[in-house]
Amino acid sequence: MDSEISAYVDEIMSVLGDEGISREDIEKEFKRFIEFGVPPEQAKRSLIRKFGGKKITRKFLKDVKPNEQSINIVCKIITKNTREINVKGETKTIYYGMLADETAVLPFTSWRPDFPAEKGDVVEIRNAYSREWQGTVQINIGERTGIKKLDEGDIPNIQQDVKKCKIKDVYSTFGPIEIEAKILSISEKEVETDGTKKKVFSGVLGDDTGKAQFTAWHDFNLKEGDVVRIKGCYAKFWRGIPQIVFDERSTVDKLKEDISVGSLSVPLHKLVEMRGGIDVTTEGTVIEIKENSGYVERCPECNRLIKNGECSVHGKVKGVADLRLKMIVDDGCAGVSAIANREVTEKLIDMNLSDCKKIIKDGGEEELLDIIRKKLLTKKLRLRGNAFGDEFGTTLIIKEAAVVNVDIQREAQQFLQMVEGER
Amino acid sequence: MKREGAWRIFANEYNDSNVVIRGTGEKKPSYVITPLGAKINRLFVVGVLTDVESLSGENELLRAHVSDPTGIYTLYSGQFQPDVTATLLNIEIPSFLAFVGKVRIFEPEEGMLYLSVRPEVVYEVDSSARDRWILETCKSTWERINAVRDAMNLSNPSINELVKLGYSRQLSEGVIRAIKSYKNIDVDRYLNSIEEALRYLLPEEEGVLPDEIGIETEEEKHEEKDDMEETVLEIIKEVEGDKGAQWDIIVEKCQQLGMDKDTVEEIISSLMDKGLVYEPVLGMIKTT
Repeated sequence: MDSEISAYVDEIMSVLGDEGISREDIEKEFKRFIEFGVPPEQAKRSLIRKFGGKKITRKFLKDVKPNEQSINIVCKIITKNTREINVKGETKTIYYGMLADETAVLPFTSWRPDFPAEKGDVVEIRNAYSREWQGTVQINIGERTGIKKLDEGDIPNIQQDVKKCKIKDVYSTFGPIEIEAKILSISEKEVETDGTKKKVFSGVLGDDTGKAQFTAWHDFNLKEGDVVRIKGCYAKFWRGIPQIVFDERSTVDKLKEDISVGSLSVPLHKLVEMRGGIDVTTEGTVIEIKENSGYVERCPECNRLIKNGECSVHGKVKGVADLRLKMIVDDGCAGVSAIANREVTEKLIDMNLSDCKKIIKDGGEEELLDIIRKKLLTKKLRLRGNAFGDEFGTTLIIKEAAVVNVDIQREAQQFLQMVEGER
Repeated sequence: MKREGAWRIFANEYNDSNVVIRGTGEKKPSYVITPLGAKINRLFVVGVLTDVESLSGENELLRAHVSDPTGIYTLYSGQFQPDVTATLLNIEIPSFLAFVGKVRIFEPEEGMLYLSVRPEVVYEVDSSARDRWILETCKSTWERINAVRDAMNLSNPSINELVKLGYSRQLSEGVIRAIKSYKNIDVDRYLNSIEEALRYLLPEEEGVLPDEIGIETEEEKHEEKDDMEETVLEIIKEVEGDKGAQWDIIVEKCQQLGMDKDTVEEIISSLMDKGLVYEPVLGMIKTT
């Protein structure tokens, strides 16, 4: 037993290093723990915590690797956002954003119920841990992580590498970014922050890889159609939709040359991973068409669906006929709910509203739904629209849709050759 | 709770699986991990509905079989899926059927695992839907084969490494679990399935006179099959107790006689079709 104890004490000493703590003290305390029946591993950890606590070694962010424990850092909160998540049926608020010190900028996520620091504060964070997320190290702040606001001192020369990126990359890029994009729409509104009125400009911008919403907290005299380079902006997300945010600290240059703007094209499971996006294009198979698809009537006042000629708000009304589809579209890895309005529905089923009315007159609404199902189920669709993420997954509001025709024999032939070739 | 994706899996890959992740807590999903690393909670299949059988008087529980080019899916539909049950009772047999369903895991005792499907939605389709599904399932099986191969080639396989190679997170998780849990993953078996399934989609190759050669080999096949059916039936009679014979034991005994697993399964289902045996509970075969 003594030799075992001595081995543990050696280990503790080597972890603590030259801290001016005597070996005898450690051994005495360790034996006390053992007498109390504490398992040696646990005793070791307790002692390291106790004596190590006297001197905390600060780690620079650039040195943090994934899956490290007990990380102590001093850093500045660059951004701080909240997100609602669902844990075992309970809604919980978590905080996330960016941290920076002299050496790097890293994303963080805090699982604590509170986060006692604001954007711009310099804080000391003790006992954090790290994870890898989408190829970047992420600082995690748990229940047992300490956050202390430091009143004095700023962190000099914060390394904020401004990363050049395309719209499609903002989903996985952290920290300040530089983008070149075209302003597709812009509107102005006034908001009040901390008692002062401020003008904000928001709209949609895009490049050849996709589109995003933006908010400018400063008047850069932007107009629809302008092509701009925005340096030092950030990407925030709302229901998965990227929002490019910038203010007077960002640099905005107008560019002469025009750029083309395209829809972001992604595999469907990737879209679900991203949660959402503005004007995205994706493909998947229709595996389910929900009951409430097909012919519906809406209230002429509020556009709500009505049942038996009655609106839940406006009472008896003369319903406005409409068509819609609610489908589950799935690529074998993930699924989205895809919602089509009348225009898209008419195109997909190759029938217009009056055709549908005729069918209903002869065979009822079920008959129409049957026809729609026969036409679309198991078909592969290419869809374009806006996607929103929530706790149940992603919903795609379709703007354009087309059936993708598959030449089965040709594809099977080519595929067979490829498989045989690689054996 | 996010919607689970619907995997495209051939029946043989699904039925070969013996690794499950059980959801604990009220709403946590369970998963079946296939040998090729599909991590399935939900699946989408298009095949041929070959039989529907009521397991209780009031059609409270139905069992149906749907076949694809590689094997057979077993479906159970009960009173909680009234639409599915109604559709299955009214549909003509055989017909092309598509279903979206959840994995159904039955483990009467440790090491005995019976997989089937609880359909959420079923609908009749045409043969072109089935062909499209076969093609899509070939592609997705091929992707899994590549993911398993890549994982085995990595010096330190991890979920993140596979994600970096371009595989989805769900598949990467499944593949890492599969290479840990399955000792020898028989990739060739699934390559053969892909090739067979693809040939199924192509017209008969030229140069073979299907009417002459075809008939002869068909006849031979029939004779051979009859012999094997007799053998399998004998084995079942030999090992069955009051409750019947365990599926696994039958397969094992037959394998000792040189039959492969697929053939045995085919023969058992053929015996079932002829009414010589039946399945009183899932995984048990009894002679009539």
